Amino acid sequence: MTTPVSVLRLPRGPDPNSRGFDPSSPRFIALCAASIPTSAASAADPARLQEEQRARSVLRESFLRCLLSMSNKRVQFHMYEKVKVEATFGASDIDVLNFQVSDLQTPIGVQKEALIRCQDVISYCFEV
Amino acid sequence: MAMRQTPLTCSGHTRPVVDLAFSGITPYGYFLISACKDGKPMLRQGDTGDWIGTFLGHKGAVWGATLNTDATKAATAAADFTAKVWDAVSGDEVLTLAHKHIVKSVSFTQDSNCLLTGGNDKVLRIYDLSKPEAAPLEIPGHTSAIKKALWCNGDQQILSAAEDKTIRLWDRTSMEAVKTLSFDTSVSSMEYVADGEILVITYGKTIAFYNALSLDLIKTVEAPASINSASLHPEKDFFVAGGDDFKLYKYDYSTKEELESYKGHFGPVHCVRFSPDGELYASGSEDGTLRLWQTAVGKTYGLWKCVLPEDLGAENSEQLYTTAPEIKA
Repeated sequence: MTTPVSVLRLPRGPDPNSRGFDPSSPRFIALCAASIPTSAASAADPARLQEEQRARSVLRESFLRCLLSMSNKRVQFHMYEKVKVEATFGASDIDVLNFQVSDLQTPIGVQKEALIRCQDVISYCFEV
Repeated sequence: MAMRQTPLTCSGHTRPVVDLAFSGITPYGYFLISACKDGKPMLRQGDTGDWIGTFLGHKGAVWGATLNTDATKAATAAADFTAKVWDAVSGDEVLTLAHKHIVKSVSFTQDSNCLLTGGNDKVLRIYDLSKPEAAPLEIPGHTSAIKKALWCNGDQQILSAAEDKTIRLWDRTSMEAVKTLSFDTSVSSMEYVADGEILVITYGKTIAFYNALSLDLIKTVEAPASINSASLHPEKDFFVAGGDDFKLYKYDYSTKEELESYKGHFGPVHCVRFSPDGELYASGSEDGTLRLWQTAVGKTYGLWKCVLPEDLGAENSEQLYTTAPEIKA
């Protein structure tokens, strides 16, 4: 008569809401460089580093505010392969990988609900 | 009291898992990457199977995946005609290397500076990752799609297996084939064991072991079913194999004796690899799951807990549960 080996718990599965790579994990904190590395000049000079960091914060904040102000507005997306589409912007996911849009106007018809993959987008514009 | 193997199932993929690879042992443990036809390779903690992240970006089935030794970089090969290099800590895509056909295999050099790729256009390519815009070195020669390409012999040579039923050993400097092995049938998998310079090859129902430098045959073992992948234990006392009958087989390397076979997967096993510490092996299957299996069944390791009979009634066993052999994450 054999007994199956006991387990403490089951392996954790994927989080349906994110792509993972938890930024609060010890490994991430220890090893991750900023996504845009500090310029060489700033790395050398602490005063310049502060200024650069302030500039980064300003840029990030204005990007996030831009996303907020786009909510429910018609936005034109310029994408690769000379694709230009227009849609009502809904939301962005946390990693800015996808935009959720409605009434996406495409050459083959209007898509009521769609996800636009951010890496396919070159630029977008809308009226404030 | 004999213990029965409890495999740990890692779910999350939605299509067959076709390749998997472990990193080396890092200060944060070791890691496992899985390549899947759903186009979304995943990184997991190697000793527990816990999901860490999914590399998003490929637009087609991912056929090959690998990690560098310290698990800071990952590389993937896909049906979208690209190989991609990723930051394995942040999950960000670092580089996309365009190819002219489906890419099947990727391999880092020990120093992580170069990436070897191989695929359906039959050409081996070596990319210098510090100069990604520079054209790769190209090594033509195979007459059919390349299935697997690996660095060997201190990254001075390359081993490649292709649908042309050959395995070729190439010299990196001269870019020429120094040895060729021919088979009657296509090789289904290849594993290179640096310590001891052993090459593990599978074809048909055979698991074959060769000297990786001379390509001399060491021994062959016949399995009861068609084998798709095999892996040699780091201490070379066991090897494991899996294939079309859905089972995992464990053999004694010295005596070639079949020691155990395990049922669990619901589809053919495509890939199997020992962890760098040899304490477990992972298998990837057509059923879309990865399973982790203990080398020493019943030992306390990772999520497995050794429970002595007298402890089963005690208070501290409340957190444990014995399970039926089939459990899913």
